[in-house]
Amino acid sequence: MQEVIQKKSGHKSKIYLWLDERYQIGKLEEFAKKKSVPKFRETIWYYFGGIALLLFIVQVISGILLLMYYKGTEDFAYESVQFISTKINFGWLIRSVHSWSANLMILAVVIHMFSVYFLKAYRKPRELTWYSGIVLLLLSLAFGFSGYLLPWNELAFFATKVGTDIVGEVPLIGEYILKLLRGGEDVTGATLSRFFGFHVAIFPGVFVVILAIHLLLIQRQGIAEPEKWRLKKESEKKTIPFFPNFALRELMIWLIVINILAVLAVYFPWELGNKADLFSPAPEGIKPEWYFLGMFQIFKFLPGEVLFLNGEFFGIIIFSIAGLLWILVPFWDKRTKSGMRNRVINYVGIFILIFFITFTILGFILD
Amino acid sequence: MKNIKVVLLIFILYSYTSSFSQSESFNDECINCHSVVGEEAELYKNDVHFSYNISCAACHGGDPKSDDQEISMSKEKGFTGIPVRKERYLACINCHANQDRMNSYGYKKSADQFEKLKSSVHFKPTYNNQGPIADCITCHGIHNIARVTSINSPVYPSKVVSLCGGCHSNASFMKNYNPAMPIDQVAKYKTSIHGIKNSSGDINVAECASCHGSHEIRSVNDPKSSVYPSNIPEVCASCHSDKTKMAQYKIATDQYDSYVESVHGIALLEKGDLSAPSCNDCHGNHGAVPPGVESISKVCGSCHSLNMELFEQSVHKQAFDKENIPECESCHGNHNIKNATDEMLGVGEKSSCVDCHKEGDKGFVIARNMRSLIDSLKQEEEKAKIVLEEANQKGMDVSDAIYALKDIRQILIQTRTILHGFDQNKFNEEIKPGFEITSEAKTEGINAVENYYFRRKGLIVSTLIVTLLVVGLYLKIRKLEKKES
Repeated sequence: MQEVIQKKSGHKSKIYLWLDERYQIGKLEEFAKKKSVPKFRETIWYYFGGIALLLFIVQVISGILLLMYYKGTEDFAYESVQFISTKINFGWLIRSVHSWSANLMILAVVIHMFSVYFLKAYRKPRELTWYSGIVLLLLSLAFGFSGYLLPWNELAFFATKVGTDIVGEVPLIGEYILKLLRGGEDVTGATLSRFFGFHVAIFPGVFVVILAIHLLLIQRQGIAEPEKWRLKKESEKKTIPFFPNFALRELMIWLIVINILAVLAVYFPWELGNKADLFSPAPEGIKPEWYFLGMFQIFKFLPGEVLFLNGEFFGIIIFSIAGLLWILVPFWDKRTKSGMRNRVINYVGIFILIFFITFTILGFILD
Repeated sequence: MKNIKVVLLIFILYSYTSSFSQSESFNDECINCHSVVGEEAELYKNDVHFSYNISCAACHGGDPKSDDQEISMSKEKGFTGIPVRKERYLACINCHANQDRMNSYGYKKSADQFEKLKSSVHFKPTYNNQGPIADCITCHGIHNIARVTSINSPVYPSKVVSLCGGCHSNASFMKNYNPAMPIDQVAKYKTSIHGIKNSSGDINVAECASCHGSHEIRSVNDPKSSVYPSNIPEVCASCHSDKTKMAQYKIATDQYDSYVESVHGIALLEKGDLSAPSCNDCHGNHGAVPPGVESISKVCGSCHSLNMELFEQSVHKQAFDKENIPECESCHGNHNIKNATDEMLGVGEKSSCVDCHKEGDKGFVIARNMRSLIDSLKQEEEKAKIVLEEANQKGMDVSDAIYALKDIRQILIQTRTILHGFDQNKFNEEIKPGFEITSEAKTEGINAVENYYFRRKGLIVSTLIVTLLVVGLYLKIRKLEKKES
C-alpha cells in the first residue's frame, strides 16, 4: 500500500516538478490555497457570475457546432436552420440548447449585475470590474439581438426592424447607426450578413477580451467582502476556501443549471416559424425577446409627443440618462465610498427592478 | 262582295280626307319651295315627324310660315341650314331628350335615349373628330325616319342586322376603330338559328340589338355591357327562360336555372371567374347553334383539352359514336354540370359507369379498381396527415413531409384526368407516386413520434446521471466541510 502511495506521489511529483520548473505553478498553487470566498447570508449571489460563465461556454460550444451547418445568407439562412433542426443528428438539441442558454445567460448576467449592485461590490477598489461587467452585459444583449435575426424567420425579421427603428431615433448619430446596423435603409439580406458577422466574429472576440479582463481583475483583487464587514476583525470574518469548497459548490450548481437547460431544450424546443418575407405585412403581436420587452413596452406607452419632443426621442434620452447614471454608480455613490450606509442605492435598485419587471409582464400580457 | 266594295270606298274616302285636312292645317312654306328644288322635302312627307306636323324648321331653323326666302331662311329667324356632322344629333335631342315635349306628342316611354347613347361606345368621337362615331341619323336615317315598329325603319328587327353590318362588316371602316375586331359577325349570324329565322321574317328571334342593346351599346370588355361574360347568361335567359316566347319553338326554358347552379355558373356568377364558360362559350355567339352529339367533346375540350384528348383515344370514343351517345354530357350533364366527384367513378349507386357496365364485364372491373385505388390513396393521405399532425403537436418538425404530402392533391387531379382514357395501366402509373409519397410521409411522421419519445427517455437518463453527480458532489462537499470544522 505504501509503495502504491509512493508511486502515485512520485508520479505526481514528477509532473508537478516538470511543470513547476517551467511555469512556476507552485506560485499558482499558493495563490489558489489562499483564495477564499466570504461566507455570509448572501453568498448564494456569488454563484451567478460563474453560472453566466458556464452558459457562455455552452454558447461558444453550441455556437461552433451550429456554425458547421448554418449559412448566413438571405437565401439559405432559414433553410439551413431548418436542416439543422430536422436532418442533423441532435441538431434540434444543439439549436434549442443554444437558444435557451442565450436567454439563461442574459438572465444570469442581469441577476449577477443586480447582486453586485445591491451588495455594493462596485465600490472602491472594484470600479473597473463593475464597468467591465456592464460592457459584458451590453455585449450579451448585443449577442441576443444579433442572434435573434439569424434564423431569418418572420418574427425575427420584424422584431429586428422595430428594434433598429428605435436605434434610428437616437439624435444626430441615429440614422448613421441605423444604416450601419442594417447595411442600408431597410432590413435585408445585407443586415443578416452583417448581424452574422457581428454575432460569430466581432462580438465573441471583444467579449473574450473583456471577460478575461473582468476575471483577471477579480483574481487580482479577490472577491468583494460584504459592506458590513468593514468594521470586523480578520478573525471574525467567516470564509470558505475557493479550492476546493467554493469550486465544488459552483460545479454542483453548474450541473443543476445543465439539467435545467436540458429539460427546457427538450420540453420547449425553440420554434422556427415561417421564413421572413420582405414584402409581406408585419404579423400581429410582434414582440422582441423578453430582455428587451420591458423597454419596448415603455416605448409603446410613450405618447407621440412629450415636452415638444418626439415620444421615442424622449424615451431614448430618458433611458440614456438613466443608463448612464446606473453605469456611473461607483462615481456618484459617495456615501458607500466613504464607508457609510447608502439606502438610496437600494431604493433606486428596487424601483428599477420593479419598474422593468412590471413593464416586461405588461409586454407579455398586452398586445 | 258588295260589302267589301263599300268598306273599301269608305277607307279611300277617309284616307283622302284625312290627308287633305293635314295639309290644310300644316302649311309649311319650307316644303312648298323645297318640293321643287330637291328630293328631301318629298322624302319628309313620309317621315314620322311630318305626321306630327313637325316642320323642317324644327331641325334647320328659320320661319316656315313665310314664303319669302329672305325672311324664312334668314339668320334673324334662326335659320341654321344643314347641321354639321359633328352636332347634328343636337337637332334630335332637342325634342327626344325632353320628356315633356315627347309626352306632348303622346310618347309614353322614357326619353332617355340620348342619356344612354352618351355612355355608348358609338358616341365616342370619330378618328378624324367629326362628331360621334354613330349618332341618331346613322341608324334611324334622315328625312324619311320611320317608327322603330315600322318595317320601313332601318332598326326594325329584320333590318337591324344589315344596318349594323353596314359598319361592322366593313373592314376598312372598322380598322379605324378596332383593327383586332372581327368583321364576320353578320356572316356568322346568318348561319345561326337566330339568323336563319330572322331572315325568314321572324322578328321574335334575337338580332344584334337583342343582345347588345340599342342606344346603350358598350364594349364587350365593359362590365356594364349586356354582353360582358358575366351578363351573358341573363341576356340569353331574357328570351330562353320566357315560356311564352319559347313555346312556339318548342324549346325548354330551364337552361338558365340549371346553369346558375352548375359548377360553371357558380364560378362565373358567384366567384366572378371570367374564364368560366357562359352560354356563348359552348353555343357560340353570333353563329349560335346547339352543339351536335359529336361536337360536344370538342366544345368541352376547348377548355378541358387533356380530358378530350384522353377520351378520344379511349375505347369509349368508338362505342359512344356507334351508339350515338353524347360524349361528355352522358356522364357530366349539360347545363347543370356539377363538380365531378369520385362517386361518379366505380360501381356505386351514384356511379355513371354502371349506367352502361354490368357486373362481370371488363369495364365494370376497371371502374371498380380505379375507384378503389383513388379511395385508398385518399385514405393513405389521411393516415399520413394524422401521424404528421401528432408529430407536429409534439413539437417535432415534420414540415418537409407535410410539404411533400401537398403533392397528393396534384396527383389526384392528374389521376382523375387520366381516367378519361379508361386505361388501367396508365391510371396505375399516374397514381403510384401518390402511394410512395404517403408511405414516406407516414414513415417520417412515425419516426418523428418515436424520436420524440427517444428524446424524453434520453433526457430522463441524462438528467438522472447529472442529478447523481449533483448528489455525489453535495455529499463530498458536506464531508469536506464536516472534516474542516
